Amino acid sequence: MFSLTLFKREMKANIKLLTIFIYILTLYIFMIVYMFTPNSGTGWDAIIKLMPDVMKAAGFTAGGSTLIGSVATGLYGMIVLMVPMVFSIILANKLIASYVDRGSMAYLLATPNKRVKIALTQALCLWVSIGILITYTTVAIIISSAIMHPGQLDIGKLVLLNVVVYFLHIAISGICFLASCISNDTKRSFSIGAGIPIVFFLIQMLANLGGKLTNLKYLTIFTLFNANDIIAGKNIVLNVSVLVVVAILLYGIGIFIFSKRDIPV
Amino acid sequence: MNVIEIKQLTKDYGNKKGVFDLDLSVKKGEVFGFLGPNGAGKTTTIRHLMGFIHPGIGECFINGLDCSKQSDIIQKSLGYLPGEIAFMDDLSGLQFIKFIAEMKGIKDFSLAEELIDMFKLDPSGKIKKMSKGMKQKIGIVCAFMHNPDILILDEPTSGLDPLMQNKFLELILSEKEKGKTIFMSSHNFEEIERTCDRTAIIKEGRLVDVEDMKILSQRKQKSYIITFLTQEMASSFSKEYGEVKGRQGNKVTVYVKGNIMPLIHTLDKYEITNLDVKIQTLEELFMHYYGGEKNV
Repeated sequence: MFSLTLFKREMKANIKLLTIFIYILTLYIFMIVYMFTPNSGTGWDAIIKLMPDVMKAAGFTAGGSTLIGSVATGLYGMIVLMVPMVFSIILANKLIASYVDRGSMAYLLATPNKRVKIALTQALCLWVSIGILITYTTVAIIISSAIMHPGQLDIGKLVLLNVVVYFLHIAISGICFLASCISNDTKRSFSIGAGIPIVFFLIQMLANLGGKLTNLKYLTIFTLFNANDIIAGKNIVLNVSVLVVVAILLYGIGIFIFSKRDIPV
Repeated sequence: MNVIEIKQLTKDYGNKKGVFDLDLSVKKGEVFGFLGPNGAGKTTTIRHLMGFIHPGIGECFINGLDCSKQSDIIQKSLGYLPGEIAFMDDLSGLQFIKFIAEMKGIKDFSLAEELIDMFKLDPSGKIKKMSKGMKQKIGIVCAFMHNPDILILDEPTSGLDPLMQNKFLELILSEKEKGKTIFMSSHNFEEIERTCDRTAIIKEGRLVDVEDMKILSQRKQKSYIITFLTQEMASSFSKEYGEVKGRQGNKVTVYVKGNIMPLIHTLDKYEITNLDVKIQTLEELFMHYYGGEKNV
């Protein structure tokens, strides 16, 4: 089903990219956790009062006085949505479309492996890489909280947040992967694979503004992840299920098309 | 038995691009050449054989297996050298060869090492920094290293220096002796002439002719440019010999097919200052095949 050789090669080839994104996340994680001041709530609340609309659009809502609330506001409103999304866009494009575009896909297809196997292996790389990114985020938040604010983090809720975020990113990466699978050049792969997720993200920002715009939330996949709801204890099963179904559909269609279509290499 | 079988293959890309109603078969143990100008449809045909693209109409078979549907099985006994070189730039040459070997499930790396030796390839550097010729050598190693029964080679000697081209032709001939079936496209007539049993000529996606190489090389004309001492001699020779293609001052051009003795006997009577031999080039031969149409 998967090619271990190809998997190892891809993970090795993309370790640099992964490291860069881990750096970026680390920077934000430490900053946000550091900014938390237990008694006066978060530093965010002051900023949010200053520029309510801008902050609302960017997903920063008043976080309350808990550390998990502050983390949810500071990280899970934008950073942990944006950063892995950009990572998925780049990696998904590299894994299929870039090989087709450059012609090196010919070498992979000239080996006795079915196209489905090759595409599934590339998909696995994406799932594992995103998994590493989200797991790292979770662990980094736990560690930095333990150092700066020992005993104040609700770890259970943090894990729950990250489970949903992981599947959100798997679903979003499905868009990127599908785009990569159907494209002969990286230009097309990027315009679809980056375009749609970014539009979703912009719609999400508009929907965050509230009022009539709230209805826009039905037009974006990001609605399926709501940090405050999860912290408030809302059941995540339905949202995760929908995300998984979306992911299976997107990846399934991508791999199917890739296995059948003409590949001009 | 036919190892490669192309039946009424049609793939229309519009604008007269593609291949049209192509019928070809390559027998076991045969070296089959595939000649044609750029954009004639050589690579398109090869892509069909590799199962990269699927026929609009028609079918392709290798060893009786459908190239479109069973390419993963076909690849086990097939070596392929793409026309365009594109590897994974982040790897070194050796890493790439080893990676492809693993993807092909090769346990025995000795043949690969032999090939690396044979082509005097230093595969330790990063592929990104390699010259076209070095990359081509890596491609050749990847195509031959699992000792496949069938080889599909798209312009295999492009980028190689003359010495290495020679090495490559030796490799082809030794593979031919081992009974391998080889299908190779080329622009290089000499290369085809030295290795191939039969050659197909394709133009604008259509098969022009399939020729036995012996017959094809007989058709290859030689022209002699003879410089006489005086113009009078030149004109009198032209009258005597008859089959003269052109005369410019004291220079006469003569085409000879087959026996050269009559020409030599005739020349004996004249004083000659120079004799040039021009062997018909591939392009000139193409002109013949294309029946004088434009585009060579």
